[in-house]
Amino acid sequence: MITVKNLHKTYPGALEPSLSGLSFSFPKGRIAGLLGPNGAGKTTTISILCGLVRADSGDAQIFDLHQDAHHREAIKKMIGIVPQQIALFPQLSALENLTYFGNLYGLKGKPLRTKIEDYLQRFGLEKNGKKEVYKFSGGMKRRTNIIAALLHDPQLLILDEPTAGVDVQSRNMILQFLREYNQQQGVSILYTSHLLEEAQSLCEEVAIIDQGRLVMQGQPLQLIQQHPECRNLEEVFLHHTGLAVRD
Amino acid sequence: MLRLLATIRKEWLLLIRDRGGLALLFLMPLVLITVMALIEDAPFRDYQELKFDVLTVDNDHGRLARYIKEGLEHSGQFTLVDSLDGKPVTQEDAVRLVNAGDYKICILIPKGATAAIVSNANRIVNDLSKRMGLPAVQPVKSRNDSLNVLIYFDPAAKKAFKSAIHQALDNFLTQVETDLLLERIKLQLHSKEADAADTFAIQLKAVGLQEQVTGPTKQINMVYNSVQHNVPAWSIFAMFFIVIPIAGNMIREREDGSLLRMKLIPGSYLALLAGKMLFFVSICVVQFYLMTLVGIYLMPLLHLPRLVLGHSYLPVFVIALCISLAATAYGILVGTLFKTPNQALSFGAISIVILSAVGGIWVPLEVMPPAMQFIGHLTPLNWGLEAINDLYLRNGGFAQIMGNAGKLMALCLVMLYLAARVEKGRMS
Repeated sequence: MITVKNLHKTYPGALEPSLSGLSFSFPKGRIAGLLGPNGAGKTTTISILCGLVRADSGDAQIFDLHQDAHHREAIKKMIGIVPQQIALFPQLSALENLTYFGNLYGLKGKPLRTKIEDYLQRFGLEKNGKKEVYKFSGGMKRRTNIIAALLHDPQLLILDEPTAGVDVQSRNMILQFLREYNQQQGVSILYTSHLLEEAQSLCEEVAIIDQGRLVMQGQPLQLIQQHPECRNLEEVFLHHTGLAVRD
Repeated sequence: MLRLLATIRKEWLLLIRDRGGLALLFLMPLVLITVMALIEDAPFRDYQELKFDVLTVDNDHGRLARYIKEGLEHSGQFTLVDSLDGKPVTQEDAVRLVNAGDYKICILIPKGATAAIVSNANRIVNDLSKRMGLPAVQPVKSRNDSLNVLIYFDPAAKKAFKSAIHQALDNFLTQVETDLLLERIKLQLHSKEADAADTFAIQLKAVGLQEQVTGPTKQINMVYNSVQHNVPAWSIFAMFFIVIPIAGNMIREREDGSLLRMKLIPGSYLALLAGKMLFFVSICVVQFYLMTLVGIYLMPLLHLPRLVLGHSYLPVFVIALCISLAATAYGILVGTLFKTPNQALSFGAISIVILSAVGGIWVPLEVMPPAMQFIGHLTPLNWGLEAINDLYLRNGGFAQIMGNAGKLMALCLVMLYLAARVEKGRMS
C-alpha cells in the first residue's frame, strides 16, 4: 500500500507551493499511475516517497512504513527508483554501472554478475554490456536506467517518466517488461508519465493531480465512463486540468 | 567496505577514461614544476653563486691590483676582463660598457694605490717603533693623498649585488693592508725567523667562523635554491588543483543523475564520499611523490640542484597526507557549493592561484610585505610548505610539523562539515 496524506511542500524561495494537501492511496501489487501536467507535483511527491525531499507537513507511507528518519533506510531497501534523468555514469559501460550500483546494494560476485547478465538479455542489451553508456541510444540508456533499479529485487518500483524520449520499440519493450514484472513477481509499480494513452493501457489505477492537489483517482476505464463526453483518459485529463500550457 | 571499495574502483575507472583529467593531474604539474624551477633558478641563486665578467682597469700595477685580481678570480664568481680586442681596457671604455649594461661592474685601481698602502703601513710601524724606543726607519710619503678604488655598476644592478661587491672588495683592501702592515713590522723588527712572523699571522686567525646546523639531526649544509623551493611549493599547488577534477566529478554526478541514484540506495552516503575522498587523497599523495622524484632525478639533468629531502621520511608522508586531505576536502566543498561546472572550475582554479600567491608558493613569504606575510600564514598552502621546509631544510621531525599538520586536518574537517551542512540543507 502506498498512502499519501495531506502532503504540503513549498521549496525555499518558491512563490507557489508544490504540494497543497495532496492525498491518495494505491493498493499493494498494482500498477498505479501518478498523472498530471508539468508542475503538478508528481516529482515532488515521488521525491518525498523516496525520502529525498522532506515534506513540510503530512504523511507518506509505503507498505505501512512512515517515511521518516526511522524508516528511511528500510524504505530505500524496499523500493527501486527509476528517475526521470538517466542516472548512470556515462563514461562507464553498462556492466560497470550496474556492477557499481549492485555493489552499493551489497550485492557482489557471481550472483550479481548473473543477475546483470539476465537483465541485460531481457532488455536486449546483452551485446552492449561493455559499451560506455554515453555511446548508447536514448532507448538503451532508458533500459539500463531501469535495470539499475531492479538489481536488489524491490517490492515497489517507482518510475518517473520511464519512456520519455525513446522509440516505439523500446517503449513497447519497457511496458511489456513492467506488466510481466508486476504479474510474475507481484511487485507494486508507481509510474508517472505525460503519455496518457500509455498510462491508460498500463495502469490498473491512476491518480490525476494538478497544482499540488488530487483532482481524481480511480481505474482508467471507470474514470472515462464517469465522463461521457470523453473518449479516453487524455480527454478526461484535459477536462480536469484545462488546455492552458504549463511551464 | 564493499561500498567503499566499489566507489574507489568506480573513481579509478572514471579517471583512467578521462585523458584530459589525467594530464591535468600528472603531466601539467610535472611541466609546471620543471618550468618554474628553471625560470626561478637565477633569481634564487645567491649573487655569490653567479658568475660575472668584471672589467678591470689597473693603473696601479702593484700588489693591491694583484690581490684584488687574485681574490676575485679565486672566489670563482668573477671572470676578470682587463683587455678588449687585445688592448687594455681604458677607464672611458669601461664606463661606457658598464653604463650600456654590457658589463655589470668595472673596478678601477688608481695609480699609486699600493704605494699609498705601503706608506700608510710604514707610518704605523714608525709610530709603534717610536713608542717602543726603536728608530723609525721606514720610508713614508710626505703627502698623504686620499686614493680610492673606483667601482662602476650597471645602473640596473640591484642593491644586494652592489652590497656584495662592496663587501668583497673591502675585504681584499683590508687583507692587503693587513699583510703589508705585518710585513713592515717584520722588517722593522729585523727578524730573520720567518716562523715567528708566521705564528703572529696565525694568531690573527685564531678565531674563525663556522656554520652549524640548527635541526636535531646532523645534515649537510643545505642551500635554499630554486629546486628546494619550487618542487615542494608547486607540488602543493598541483595537489590543491585536485579541486578541479573533484568539483567537476561531483557536479557531473549531480547533473547526470548518478548522485541521485547513489542517494536512493540504502546505506550511508558518507561511505561513498569516503571512498571518493580516499581515492583522490591517494592521487594527491602519488602526485607529491612523483614531483619529488622529478626534483631528485630530473632537475639535475637540467643542470639544476638536486632536491634534498632531509631524513624524516615518515613525517614527510604524514604531511603529504594532511595536505592531500585538506585539498580533497576543499574540492568536495567547492563541488558541493557550486551548481554548474563553470562556476566551480573558475572559482576553484582562481582561488588556488590566489591562495598560492599569498601562501608563498610563487615567491617565499619572507620577501613579501608584513601584511601579506600575515595573510600568507593563514593559508593552507603555506602550512603545507612550511611543514615541508621544516622537514627538508630545518631537519625537523614530527614535533616540528605537528602544528601545521593539525591546522590542515582541522581545515579538512571544517570544510567537510560545511559541505555536509550544505548538502543536508538541500534536502529540505
